[in-house]
Amino acid sequence: MPSVHFEHVTKRFGATTVVDDFNLDVEDGELLVLVGGSGSGKTTILRMLAGLEEVTEGKIRIDETDVTSLPPRARDVAMVFQDYGLYPHMTVRENLSLGLRLRKVATTEIDRRVTWAADMLRLEPLLDRKPKQLSGGQQQRVAMGRAMVREPLVFLFDEPLSNLDAGLRAQMRIEIGGLQRRLKTTTVYVTHDQVEAMTLGDRIVVLADGKIQQIGRPIDLYRAPVNLFVAGFVGTPPMNFVTGLVASQNGSISFAAEGLNFALLEKRMPSAMPTGAVTMGIRPEDMEVDVIDNGAGPATDSVQGRVVLVERLGGTSHIHFDAGPHRLLAAVQNERLPAVGDAISVRMHSERIHLFVDDERVSSVS
Amino acid sequence: MKIFKRIALYGVLAVAALTFIYPFLWMAAATFKPRAEFGSLSLFSANATFDNYRTMWERAPFGRALLNSMLVAGTITMSVLVFGSITAYAMARLRFRGSPWLNAATMGVLLIPGQLTLIPMYTLIVQVGLIDTYAALILPYLFNATAILMMRQFFLQIPQSLIDSARMDGMGEMRILFTIFWPLSKPVLSIVAIFTFMGSWNEVLWPLLVVREQHLMTLPQLLTVFSLGGGAGSVGVMLAASMVLVIPVVIAYAILQRNFIESMAGSGVKG
Repeated sequence: MPSVHFEHVTKRFGATTVVDDFNLDVEDGELLVLVGGSGSGKTTILRMLAGLEEVTEGKIRIDETDVTSLPPRARDVAMVFQDYGLYPHMTVRENLSLGLRLRKVATTEIDRRVTWAADMLRLEPLLDRKPKQLSGGQQQRVAMGRAMVREPLVFLFDEPLSNLDAGLRAQMRIEIGGLQRRLKTTTVYVTHDQVEAMTLGDRIVVLADGKIQQIGRPIDLYRAPVNLFVAGFVGTPPMNFVTGLVASQNGSISFAAEGLNFALLEKRMPSAMPTGAVTMGIRPEDMEVDVIDNGAGPATDSVQGRVVLVERLGGTSHIHFDAGPHRLLAAVQNERLPAVGDAISVRMHSERIHLFVDDERVSSVS
Repeated sequence: MKIFKRIALYGVLAVAALTFIYPFLWMAAATFKPRAEFGSLSLFSANATFDNYRTMWERAPFGRALLNSMLVAGTITMSVLVFGSITAYAMARLRFRGSPWLNAATMGVLLIPGQLTLIPMYTLIVQVGLIDTYAALILPYLFNATAILMMRQFFLQIPQSLIDSARMDGMGEMRILFTIFWPLSKPVLSIVAIFTFMGSWNEVLWPLLVVREQHLMTLPQLLTVFSLGGGAGSVGVMLAASMVLVIPVVIAYAILQRNFIESMAGSGVKG
């Protein structure tokens, strides 16, 4: 399987730059996820790789072949679209085989591949139906089948699950992941859903405003986000942020913001400790919540707050609380949960605290 | 009470329908009547005869005119569909320099009444020496701005992902148009086809200007010349000729009816 290389790729629509000096290497057989909000340029990048969008500047290579100016049919890539793009007037079988017929593949070989894909995706009973007679999940599988039978060098997925309901989405996510591991075809997958990105990707590229924010394994993005955008984008529920100051007092270092003050573990902090304004970030699952007993003072690594909402999700519960003017969220596994209005003490796992100065992350431990 | 209302409603509708259809039925019936019975409004005749058709066929080359009309209207319809949809596809789905201008120009053509271009067009046809040829009948109608705009509007609604899929599957633009867009655009293609065919089939003025040879005349032209020139001799013969003119359109309408009504409702175009 080949690798894919973007070299200084820029895309402009008129005066608007949608993708700006994009550089990326997708390795052999890798499933790489491009994730970002709307307008981040992720779909444009995919369409440029497919040949559906012209590249304004830069070069795209598949292995050693420069495909920048090749038409889609000459690139040997296959794409699964958000709304599937199945031909409504053709049966499933015709939809699957059309690309092969146009490439003048022998009939016996077409039959073999269609049977293989239909078998893999459980499409046999549907082969003679039209797309309109299929459910969303079935249409999705036909779209994948159509890409598979081509046996392309690269698979491209453009938000393939966003039209499905939540249950089906989770199921199809598992199927896509499994399929890609079996076929080992180099795959570029675009989504705005960070859960999809985290569960599917060998590596993830986080994009914002046409620029790469961070590239890494899902766990790296989760544990060590390079900036506030990535920190806020990756992880559900999202990371809590509080702006405040890092101060040194009596030999210990603490974080102070309005209505919120707690000690940071000194040995965990970098030698050049930021001074002045910083943004502290902590994930909801890195906090421990205790109802305050009468008379017990808070520990130094804790903050006090008042519960405003408790969401019980079964195993995990989300506790929204106010600490001074800051609304924070803790995700806890407690059996006993505080009630709305209760005063609570929240221990911050200081080894999991991230500090950001001017948007860039300067510290955390992992 | 309800049932009476319903009966009254259907009664009124039936009378209204009859006022539309009766003259046509009478015309059809009259073509089989002998001359003496034309005064009667009855649809039936005890002495039904094919004489009117026989006379018509003997006095003027109506068979040839029928073929001419089919050739002219058929060619024009095919051309409007093929070239029109190619233009419409480009306007709707391709990015190219000057595309907004092409839209504006096509729209502009609609604003020019046909009568205005009649004389210049005639002069042009004379200049290039096409008088008394099929080309004179066909060439000016190969493109139709209304058809292009209708198809463009329809093509705009076809999802982009179908075009993208087709391109990924290895199709060129022409193939996308004819294997993906055409099957999905049956409603608009039928309405364009039937309007174009009817318009061309019923056209009298232009053929009268550019064709004088009887063997090149279209059916309505020959019918006009035949009736006004007194060749028919009787109302029955004239009506028989009119029937020959009407029947192909009725047949075409019957075949395309379902699509036709569907797209009339969908396109907001009034007939």
